[in-house]
Amino acid sequence: MAEAVQSAALSSELPTEIVGAPQGQTTARFHFSWNWLGVLPFLAFVIAFQLFPTLSIIVRAFTDSTGHFSLDNIRALNDPVVIGSYWSTIKLSVFTAIGGGILGLLLAYAITIGGLPNWIRSSILSFSGVASNFAGVPLAFAFIATLGVTGILTKLLKSMGIALYPNFTIYSFSGLVLTYTYFQIPLMVLIMSPALSGLRREWREASENLGATPLQYWRYIGLPVLLPSILGTMALLFSNAFGAQATAYALVGGGAGANLVISLLVGSQSGGDVIANVGLGNSLVFGMIVIIGITIGIYAYFRRRSERWFSH
Amino acid sequence: MRRASFWSWLWLALGLTYFGVPLLATFLFSVQANRGLISFDAYASVLSAPDFARSFLFSFRTALLTILISAVLLVPTAYWVHLRLPRFRLVIEFFTLLPFVIPPVVLGYSLIRAYNGTGLTDSSEGVYIIMLGAYVMLSFPYMYRAIDTGLTTINVRTLTEAGQSLGASWLTILFRIIFPNIAGALLNGAFITFAIVMGEFTIASLLSQPTLGPYMATLGSHAIYEPSALAVLSFLLTWASIILIQRIGRGKPIAAR
Amino acid sequence: MSKIAKLSRRHFLGLAAVGTAGLIAAPQLTFAQTAAPTAAPTAAATAGALPPAPAAGPIDLKAAGGMDALVAAAKKEAELSTIALPNSWADYGDMKKQFLAKYSFLKHNDLNPDGGSGDEIQAIKDNAGNKGPQNPDVVDVGFTWGDTGKKAGLFQPYKVATWDSIPDSVKDADGNWYGDYYGTLLFEVNSDVVSKVPQDWADLLKPEYKGQIALGGDPTKANQAIYAIWAAGIATNGGKIDDGTAGLAFFAQLAKAGNLLPTIAQDATIAKGETPITLRWDYNALANVATSKAAGVNIATVYPTSGTIAGVYVQAISAYAPRPNAARLWMEYLYSDEGQLTFLKGHATPIRFDDLKKRGVIPAELLATLPKTDVKVALPTLEQINAASTNISKNWSTMVGSLLSK
Repeated sequence: MAEAVQSAALSSELPTEIVGAPQGQTTARFHFSWNWLGVLPFLAFVIAFQLFPTLSIIVRAFTDSTGHFSLDNIRALNDPVVIGSYWSTIKLSVFTAIGGGILGLLLAYAITIGGLPNWIRSSILSFSGVASNFAGVPLAFAFIATLGVTGILTKLLKSMGIALYPNFTIYSFSGLVLTYTYFQIPLMVLIMSPALSGLRREWREASENLGATPLQYWRYIGLPVLLPSILGTMALLFSNAFGAQATAYALVGGGAGANLVISLLVGSQSGGDVIANVGLGNSLVFGMIVIIGITIGIYAYFRRRSERWFSH
Repeated sequence: MRRASFWSWLWLALGLTYFGVPLLATFLFSVQANRGLISFDAYASVLSAPDFARSFLFSFRTALLTILISAVLLVPTAYWVHLRLPRFRLVIEFFTLLPFVIPPVVLGYSLIRAYNGTGLTDSSEGVYIIMLGAYVMLSFPYMYRAIDTGLTTINVRTLTEAGQSLGASWLTILFRIIFPNIAGALLNGAFITFAIVMGEFTIASLLSQPTLGPYMATLGSHAIYEPSALAVLSFLLTWASIILIQRIGRGKPIAAR
Repeated sequence: MSKIAKLSRRHFLGLAAVGTAGLIAAPQLTFAQTAAPTAAPTAAATAGALPPAPAAGPIDLKAAGGMDALVAAAKKEAELSTIALPNSWADYGDMKKQFLAKYSFLKHNDLNPDGGSGDEIQAIKDNAGNKGPQNPDVVDVGFTWGDTGKKAGLFQPYKVATWDSIPDSVKDADGNWYGDYYGTLLFEVNSDVVSKVPQDWADLLKPEYKGQIALGGDPTKANQAIYAIWAAGIATNGGKIDDGTAGLAFFAQLAKAGNLLPTIAQDATIAKGETPITLRWDYNALANVATSKAAGVNIATVYPTSGTIAGVYVQAISAYAPRPNAARLWMEYLYSDEGQLTFLKGHATPIRFDDLKKRGVIPAELLATLPKTDVKVALPTLEQINAASTNISKNWSTMVGSLLSK
């Protein structure tokens, strides 16, 4: 049945705005209420399992230890270590989102449109499923075993005359970038592969018939079509890196964690062996929520601009 | 278009190197349990430990349930938003990214507190439901992004109109038109979700559930070679499971290009 | 159209939000955790008001009616939840195994084995009022947490049968918390990688140990790491127990010299040679010595000559324990001769050591494995521990962390 509808769709005219039921505007009120019911299950679930923790954090961020409203926790954010940590995490997330995003896009291209055999595509996709979640202590240790002081790559490079240490160390910001990219690339591959597969062959053929070079095809058709998905996925990659904790803890958690990664600074304010400042922990998470909100805003702006090229 | 260019092979080769070398390094370390010899002692001790199979299967079932619930919740929602509520898209995307910033520890504790009076927290079964809900939340960013990307590439409006003009009901449109067309994207989202649930530790540990994560942590902590052997094993087992899901997923016709 | 549509949209969004929020709030209203609408559950969580604890149980074995009565009561509960007890920490692995073999009717929930004391206290607070397996019955926490836990009303008192043989300085007079074992900090060194093993704190600053030293935990929250930093300061300060500032200064020097790695040293990274020098409790280091030996890796342990520090951990029964009788049974076991000797097997000094030695119940081979040292061991008071812990965890990131994060 899917194929029948698809061919009907392809042969149809340019898509028009669906504003309501085919019956028209007289039932507008009924129809818009039905629209919201459609997202009610999702909202209910989010409220039940996400909003309560989120709201309780936000409320606690503005509450002091006696239970009254207070801005003390927010003011405590104005501290060089806190600001440095936020900034470092933002940089880390941006680098790995863009770097991992571009590399992931290239790999996704290679396995979809790039013409590699089908079995490679399904293997890489299934591998990416696992690799995208290969984080935490195992990943950190894998990179230590590779690029640590006694790592196999370090030893290999040393035998070729290139000494990585002591100038480079895996227990650093650069080490985090390298390690985070390991799960960013597969994520990009997994989410962009269907999008790349969705680029219609007809467009490519049409543009070739009109004399366009592959570069022109990508510049005027391919990338604009893909851009909303690319941006959205990079926003996802950013958030993924921003909230990541276990990997950073295993790599730099023994002394520089709180300075480099904000989620580790949060961790040190709650659930340790010593008296923690839970209020600060809550305001730190509140700050993270705000930053994610800003990320969505930036992504929305770019997506709106790019969607000019692609009318639904 | 089946011409494999030089560049495609190059990106593939680079990708495989980047992914393969750290795994190889881990494997090489894990077989050193017996100084001077290549030995699989660490693997033997991991696999022979009791309850390994039981924890794995428990996590496996939980992962499948999570994927199912997540898909049932998100596909209609994403479809609806694409069709009728484009302005709501940003709100949904914000909500689906929130699970990233809430530390899993905080999520776990908040959920326990929230449901403390309801009786759900008084038994292992009740707590399982809470854990399942948390996992579905954790899968939202990836599932939603995958489904959203899938929906973007198909012409949702046209397909729906065509379906409606052929007399199909909403449910028919959803299940027999939209779903098969985004099945590829959905499957990719399912892979990530599967891996997440299999490897998740913090929430399962807080809720005292016998999943693979806490089991592996107990086994591997403070041992030297077992953690690396565990990492390799869990990677391979999860990969095998995903390939299994992939094979089963191929039963449905996917709009391939 | 748009005006009507907008009203409808907002109208229904509002209704939907209130409706679903009401549905969620309803369970809480029904069970009277709070008596106010939606905002209140959040408020209650923020105010941290715990539900009232159940009435305290018997204070000791006699009040419980004797061991048989206690066992019968525990049989009815049929379960025990412990938290943050790693198998290789002071040989808790054997302790748990032996206890469960003795009382096989108990189902054991081994919660969060790698958790810290803060995680344990948090678990009590957040599970207060529920009866599930994720609610810990007993905790084993750092010394300072015994006091704060008691003040927060999180523990219920119980005095084990061997109560009198526990030194007064390490237990609460009312029976809310009681020391169980202690250990001393030392240098754990992979002697295959490090040919000249450092003997004292000043040695650590030498350039030959560049990029080789790491702490055994997160210095902003882990007890073991904080004590290591503190000990460095005390020893280089002539043995004077300060508030940790001297230790922070020492580690800042270590960081500047490039000798300190910002990563957490684990058994695997020590054996591999990535973090060949670390500072841990002697019982942890000695457990690793044995494991590594089996794998052909040689690890040396050295008590720094100018001094080190000892740390005591304490036990407590949660005031909200869903299975308090099983909890009491566990405590009785830990403080029995058998339990205390198991700690000794794990290279930790059991708290009843003097009593056991006096009565001559320690097997000679076991006595020989007890880590001994002649160096000066600092034994701080509760106030000193509180002050130094707060100071070090708060100021590490500013004083040392910034030097390590590039």
